[in-house]
Amino acid sequence: MEFKEVVGRRRSIRYFQSWRQVEREKIQVMLEAARLASCAVNATFLKAVVVVRDQLDHDTLEALKTPVSGLNIELAPVHIYTYADMGAYVGAQGRLKKLVDVGALNATHGWSHKFVDDFVWPNILKPLADGATQASVAGAAASDAGIAICQAMLAAVDEGLGVCLSAFVHEPIAKIVNPPKDWLPLWVLLVGYPAESWEAGGQRPRPPMEEQFFEGKYGNGFKPDPKVTEQLKAAKMIQAPAPLPWRKDEIKALARMFGLPE
Amino acid sequence: MSAPDKPLEEYESVQTWYRGLREQSGIDPTQDRSRLDLLREFCMALDLDPDALVAACLLKKEGRETKISVKGRRSMGERIAEFQSRDASADARERARRGNTIRSFLIHNGILLQSGIQI
Repeated sequence: MEFKEVVGRRRSIRYFQSWRQVEREKIQVMLEAARLASCAVNATFLKAVVVVRDQLDHDTLEALKTPVSGLNIELAPVHIYTYADMGAYVGAQGRLKKLVDVGALNATHGWSHKFVDDFVWPNILKPLADGATQASVAGAAASDAGIAICQAMLAAVDEGLGVCLSAFVHEPIAKIVNPPKDWLPLWVLLVGYPAESWEAGGQRPRPPMEEQFFEGKYGNGFKPDPKVTEQLKAAKMIQAPAPLPWRKDEIKALARMFGLPE
Repeated sequence: MSAPDKPLEEYESVQTWYRGLREQSGIDPTQDRSRLDLLREFCMALDLDPDALVAACLLKKEGRETKISVKGRRSMGERIAEFQSRDASADARERARRGNTIRSFLIHNGILLQSGIQI
C-alpha cells in the first residue's frame, strides 16, 4: 500500500476477529517499524512487550480491563504493552559518538567526539540520565515513544491489521511481563484482524488545519491549498468522513455477532 | 425504593434511552416492545423504577460533579448478569439479549457498562 493511503486508512479499530491469531512475522514488521523511528540522542525510549491474549489466564485478563477498555482488550488477540524507558539517556554519550562515526552527526554541523565528551554529555545528557524523573525526560520519552508506536501502528495497517491504543491496569500485567522499575507504563497497543470493515465507519472528524497548525506565528492559521487537498484525496490520505451511511447497520450487525448491547 | 407506578415511557430515563437508541444506535425502539417488557421485569425484580435504576449507579453530592458509583455500577452489573441467566429455558443468544437490553438502557443514560463477548 502507498504511504499516504496507509496514513489515510488508519483508524482505531474497536472490533477485532477475536478468534484469529496474528502471524508472528507481522508483529515483527510492526516492531521493526517502531525500532527505526526517529529518537532523540538515539535513545530508545520505547520499550514494549508482546503478549498473546490467549496465553494470559482468565483472572489476569479480567484484571487488566479498565471500565472503558475491557471489551477491546478481550477482543484483540495480541497485546503490545508499551512503556517509556525513563533510563534511556543512560549510554547516550556512546550512542552520540557512534552517530558521529557513521556520518549522521558531522563536523559540518559542529559535531565531534570531543564536543560530545566535554560538553553534551556532562552538561546536558548526564544530568538527564541521573535524574530520570525530570519533566524534560518525561516529555522526550513520551514524544519519542509516541513516534515509535505510531510507526508500528502504520506498519500494522499496511499489513492488513487493525490497531487501537488503549488504557490498561498496570499491576496485573506487570506480574507477568516483569518490566524494570524505570519503565513508565504508557498504552497497550491492541492488534488483530478487524471484525469491522477497514473503513470503520469513515475517517474520524478532525478540526480544520488552520485551527491546529499555524504559519509564522500563533493565530495565523496554516491555510491548506485546495489543490493539495484534492491530490491527497486522490492518494487516499484524505478519505470519506465518518459516518458512512451504513455505519449504524454495521454496528448493529457487530453487536449481534458478539452479543453486545446496542 | 419502589417499582414503576406509571407507564415506563413516561419516565425520563426511558425517554433518554429511546432518544439514544434512535439518534446514536439507529434503532426505532417502538418497533420492539419486548425491550420495555424486559426493563419492567428487571425493575420489578429490583423493586426500583427506571429513574431509580439509573440513580443507583450514580454518586451525587451537593455542590460536586455527579460521578458513576463504582460500587453501584458493579452491583448493577451483577444484578444484570443474574437477570440474564434467570431464564434457563432461553438459549445463550436470548439470555444475552435479556442482559443487553438492560445494559443498553443504562448505557444510554450515561452508565458505562460492558458485557464482554457473548458468543
